Amino acid sequence: MKLLGILIGCAIAAGGASNDSVLIRGADIYPVSSEPVKAASILVLDGKISEIGLKVVAPKGVRVLDGKGLRVYPGMIDSGTNLGLSEIELIRETVDTGELGEFMPQLRALASVNPDSEHFAVVRIAGITSAMTFPAGAGNDEGGGGRGRPPQYISGQAALIHTFGRTWEEMAISGPAAMYVQFPALGPTGGRGGPVPENVAGLAGETGARTFTEMMRTYQQEMAKLTDFFEEARRYQKAKTASLAGFVRDLKYEAMLPVLEGKLPVAIAAATPRAIHDAIKFAEKENVKIVIVQPRELGSAAAELKAKNIPVILGRVLALPRGQDEPYDEAFTLPAEAYKAGIKFAFGTFENQFVRNLPYQAATAVAFGLPQDEALKAITINPAQIWGAGDRLGSIETDKLADLIVTTGDPLEIQTQVKHVFIRGQEIELSSKQTRLYDKYLNRQ
Amino acid sequence: MRKLVAALLLLSAWAIAENPRTLAIRNAKIVTVSGPVIGKGTVVVRNGLIEAVGENASIPDGAWVIDGEGMTVYPGLIDSMSTVGIPSLAPATPPAGRGGRGQTTTTPAPTPAPAATPATTAAPVTRAMGPEDRPATTSWVLAADEIDPSDRRIDSLRSAGFTTTVTFPARGIFGGQGSIIDLASVGHAGEMVVAPAVGQYLAVSRGGGIAGGFGAGFPNALMGYIAYIRQIYLDAGHYKLLKEAYAQSPRGMERPPYDRALEGVLDSKRILLPANRLVEMDRMLRFAAELQQPAILYGMREAYRPEAAPLLKKYGSPVLVSMHWTEAPRDPDPEAYRTMRSLENVDQGPAAPGLLQKAGIPFALYTDGLDQPKELQRAVKKAIDSGLARQDAIRALTLSPAEIYGVADRLGSIEAGKIANLVVTKGDLFDDHTQIQMIFVDGKQYKPAPEPPAGGGRGGAEEPGESQ
Amino acid sequence: MRKSWIVTLAALAPVYAQNIVIQNATIMTVTKGTLEGSLVIKDGKIAEVGEKVMMPLNATVIDAGGQYIIPGIIDCHSHIAVDGSVNEGSVAVSSMVNIKDVINPEDIAIYRALAGGVTAANILHGSANPIGGQTIVLKMRWGRDAQGMIFEGALPGIKFALGENPKRPGNPPGGRGATQTVPARYPATRMGVEDTIREALNQAKAYKAEWDDYAAKVARGEHPLPPRKDLKLEPLKEVLEGKRYVHAHCYREDEILMLLRVADDYGFKIRTLQHVLEGYKVAQEIAASGTGASTFSDWWAFKIEAYDAIPYNAALMQKKGIVVSLNSDDDELIRHLNTEAAKAMKYGGVSETDALAMVTINPAKQLGIDSRVGSIEAGKDADLVIYDKYPLSDYAKVLKVLIDGRVYFDRNNDVNGRPAKALEKQKLLDKEKQSQPKPTGGRGPVQ
Repeated sequence: MKLLGILIGCAIAAGGASNDSVLIRGADIYPVSSEPVKAASILVLDGKISEIGLKVVAPKGVRVLDGKGLRVYPGMIDSGTNLGLSEIELIRETVDTGELGEFMPQLRALASVNPDSEHFAVVRIAGITSAMTFPAGAGNDEGGGGRGRPPQYISGQAALIHTFGRTWEEMAISGPAAMYVQFPALGPTGGRGGPVPENVAGLAGETGARTFTEMMRTYQQEMAKLTDFFEEARRYQKAKTASLAGFVRDLKYEAMLPVLEGKLPVAIAAATPRAIHDAIKFAEKENVKIVIVQPRELGSAAAELKAKNIPVILGRVLALPRGQDEPYDEAFTLPAEAYKAGIKFAFGTFENQFVRNLPYQAATAVAFGLPQDEALKAITINPAQIWGAGDRLGSIETDKLADLIVTTGDPLEIQTQVKHVFIRGQEIELSSKQTRLYDKYLNRQ
Repeated sequence: MRKLVAALLLLSAWAIAENPRTLAIRNAKIVTVSGPVIGKGTVVVRNGLIEAVGENASIPDGAWVIDGEGMTVYPGLIDSMSTVGIPSLAPATPPAGRGGRGQTTTTPAPTPAPAATPATTAAPVTRAMGPEDRPATTSWVLAADEIDPSDRRIDSLRSAGFTTTVTFPARGIFGGQGSIIDLASVGHAGEMVVAPAVGQYLAVSRGGGIAGGFGAGFPNALMGYIAYIRQIYLDAGHYKLLKEAYAQSPRGMERPPYDRALEGVLDSKRILLPANRLVEMDRMLRFAAELQQPAILYGMREAYRPEAAPLLKKYGSPVLVSMHWTEAPRDPDPEAYRTMRSLENVDQGPAAPGLLQKAGIPFALYTDGLDQPKELQRAVKKAIDSGLARQDAIRALTLSPAEIYGVADRLGSIEAGKIANLVVTKGDLFDDHTQIQMIFVDGKQYKPAPEPPAGGGRGGAEEPGESQ
Repeated sequence: MRKSWIVTLAALAPVYAQNIVIQNATIMTVTKGTLEGSLVIKDGKIAEVGEKVMMPLNATVIDAGGQYIIPGIIDCHSHIAVDGSVNEGSVAVSSMVNIKDVINPEDIAIYRALAGGVTAANILHGSANPIGGQTIVLKMRWGRDAQGMIFEGALPGIKFALGENPKRPGNPPGGRGATQTVPARYPATRMGVEDTIREALNQAKAYKAEWDDYAAKVARGEHPLPPRKDLKLEPLKEVLEGKRYVHAHCYREDEILMLLRVADDYGFKIRTLQHVLEGYKVAQEIAASGTGASTFSDWWAFKIEAYDAIPYNAALMQKKGIVVSLNSDDDELIRHLNTEAAKAMKYGGVSETDALAMVTINPAKQLGIDSRVGSIEAGKDADLVIYDKYPLSDYAKVLKVLIDGRVYFDRNNDVNGRPAKALEKQKLLDKEKQSQPKPTGGRGPVQ
């Protein structure tokens, strides 16, 4: 492991200025956007995919990587993480998600990403080359709400980043990729966790002290607040456009402008068909683009999602059913259900320590009905497109960024080893805190 | 002379009007419970006891006669697990907007603030370090010593036809022993007591708001409660051994320290354990067998399940079934998750008594916090509508609890020699439009409290004792 | 057709010993290699395994063509099937409590674990206490009562816990100053955790001496009064006598070493170290003590004591000769121990057999039940899992699970039964809705 790292390092050094150029020769290539090609080559020049073919010649000075017996896939993309923003969940000082405040669209996750978080090395050597990192909600924090604080409606801007870069600027793929909105939750389905255990709730299956009428009242109040904020943002937009006298720049409303212009999608967590319908209704009323995040159940909402071309980020496949009586494989079959309904979706792991298991989440979905190639798309081209980077990432095509993984086999199989990882054409040293500890103790007498 | 006679007559009339020591109800239908129904007969009461009952029972001279035409006489109802008589154990006022319905209770209604626990009123909370510290054990307490005749619930329950409760000091883990009390409005609590010590009340949770966590004392988890109880019984057995050895030959032996908690445990002839789910029934029955204590299970919400009756039959323990049927949540979120089990509970819960009856399991019903007459009538009616024969419903609230507590020689049916606890109705007991006309407790007559106005609130208690 | 007729006959005679033949499968025995063949089950035990087997009379035949059979998976660290809290956290030493008292056989987690191939699990007290409660091994016999779930003959255990969790109550939120609302519980540091354990063992030693003295007197024909039985010290006495296994939750290398030395001082062995995420750092010490290690495959960074956790932990420890198992400590992960085992192959190059062993024969050895379960060998309990594909892969699904030769999970039956169940539930939901008064405000979306 270490030796290989040294060799690569030498190779990279020897390559001189062009350490983001390489020819991968004679591998089985899985572009995702087209059929696999056996025993072919990929030429990467200056960080981009330059050529793919059966006979590709390396220009002078470009090193050659022998891909015989190996496969090449696009780098994997995780659509739900806190990477760079959270190091150790239980130590609050190391966690930068879940800021205070009700409406915080101006917060941007990107500039708070720590490029040296140990998590990045761990996930990139597993083949996850980019990820969406969220200002709240992914992981165990309750995003501003929870811990006795008032609810947070708008948590800030999530960013699509490479999992490698010297600075967060280098890691940034585009500007913000989504505005994360924590939609008001009607009742316990809004996400405080799973079903109440029987022996705690009592036999009437009570979910809490509040009647539906009370819940609706709170919900309507919260919705009113949210829509009011959007209304204020629109007024700001109008005033700005018209350059009204006395116009003062407001950072919060500034941050809302791309949302109102339809350039920045709103990511909304909606667990049930009812919540999804509500979110879609809201989006239509406010005339914004949305992405539905972590539905637990699609039901009647599936058709509407398909009809309105709204993409979905599925949460962890390896999850328990939402209710006592539900089929044990409820979460395993959800991706297949989304696929059959014609919904475009991507996977997110929603917990930093499990990001490296992204492909295995996808594999479980395959066992329970999702076609193999759809699973692969959901961790490559789909997230790239959903997050507005479909022209640059997610598949092996010329002119796209060279985010590539070279593997011993199907990346969805656990025993597959990732042999090489390229991000923006640069080969990543396959070393992390964990491999270093391994090396150290492997040789301890 | 005439003046004297008139004065004497007036005096005796007044005496009779206030508290006839001898009275008779005649021409009434009499449901004795212990025998066949008497279509038209007479019940004679003297000195608080039933003197005679029958088609042709003769009425003594001077008896106050009540015409029972069109009425039915039943034995007074017995609430087999209650806290009535101990006002501090009345359930807290339900939070606004929810009403008293739909709440599930596994213990008979005590959700008092921790102030009810003796330890916390006495001194700052000393955290228990293990079973050897026992702030939650007040096993020596007898409910009889805590009865307060001014408990407003007495009148309310009586107006629903209950003449007797088995009242428990339901607090802590070992609350103390329950006492059978007649719901008589008297000056002195002692006069109410029928049997002072009928069984030790045990709980395996503290109910209310003591959420677990590391700040509260031991025990905290269910398994902690079980270990706690187990240790006390071990200690009681050991204590008994030492006491007996010391009593036999004290010389040369260190004396065992006096421990009133263990005395209280040893004094109890049976224990009451909570069990609602089938799993809990199994657990508690096995536990009682391990402790070698005769047990009565209370709660029994899942007694409708087919596995329940065979399990109970195996152990032979009698059970107390809560009448506070699980209700569906009011105004629920349509998307709130309802488990199959909870749906079944609501749907089939009231069928439990009928099923237990068919399987021959000894059982009684108890009010479990319900105390409004209409609530109680409806609750029993629900069981009847779900398959419990009316006469079995009556028995489950009269002779069965008397038998379970070993006082069937005194209570529970209309037989000569038994205590004169009666309820007289126009219409069959538990039917929707039936009116309770009068209630007799220890031979003293009471009027039911007037119906509360629509929308709730409690009716004022009428002055008891005035006969018509 | 013939098969289903036989199945019906078998179903009608549950009392009779049921003979079952599972044929044409790839059988991964774990201890005796992998073969293409069949196995015979008689009286709940594996009677025969081989490429060709003797077909007994009246056998139910399960054709497992193209499928894989592995021994029933054993989870060495689980908290399923427990009523109430898994922690008696009020006191630092809660050895008097017993998981056995609070088994909940109706916990749906049991069925879901079955559906993930688990046939037995070590159900533990939580980690809130340096010395926690007594533990028990269960078989996932879904449908039986609490007693029926207990793995007969498995030695009882007790839970110890080191590191952050047991000292958390010593450091309540709001600090330890005058403003705290929740009283702190000793210990608050790792030093105090060691002290608490030593102190308890000390007391147990004295308690044991008392009882040994009593036993000696009785043996001499005397009639002394017995000492008081103390439920807290009884199980610790059993630990000292080697009659009760200690399963110790631990993370950091210093506390792992500490506990091994404490055990040495008191003359007993820790049976398993649980989680033991830094076990790789002190692997030789663990190996020397003969203690088993039961760990996660790849969890890390959720606490500071898990920051140095590496997915190669299992491989490194196994290389040093430690008996290593992979556990779940989670209601969801328990369903995927087959793929957790596969991760041992990925991280550190553990062989297929050794990886599978980590969720079968190794936990069986750790729990002292390996004479009964953990591999597919004649004479062992017929605890088996049938997969549709190669089991060490996320592409595989569990089709059937047998325990004691009886089918406890059948995916076909589960899937086919769903419409009827849903219908039955809908009936009750409708019935309940009809009996409700009309709600105000209406349901559903707002605006």
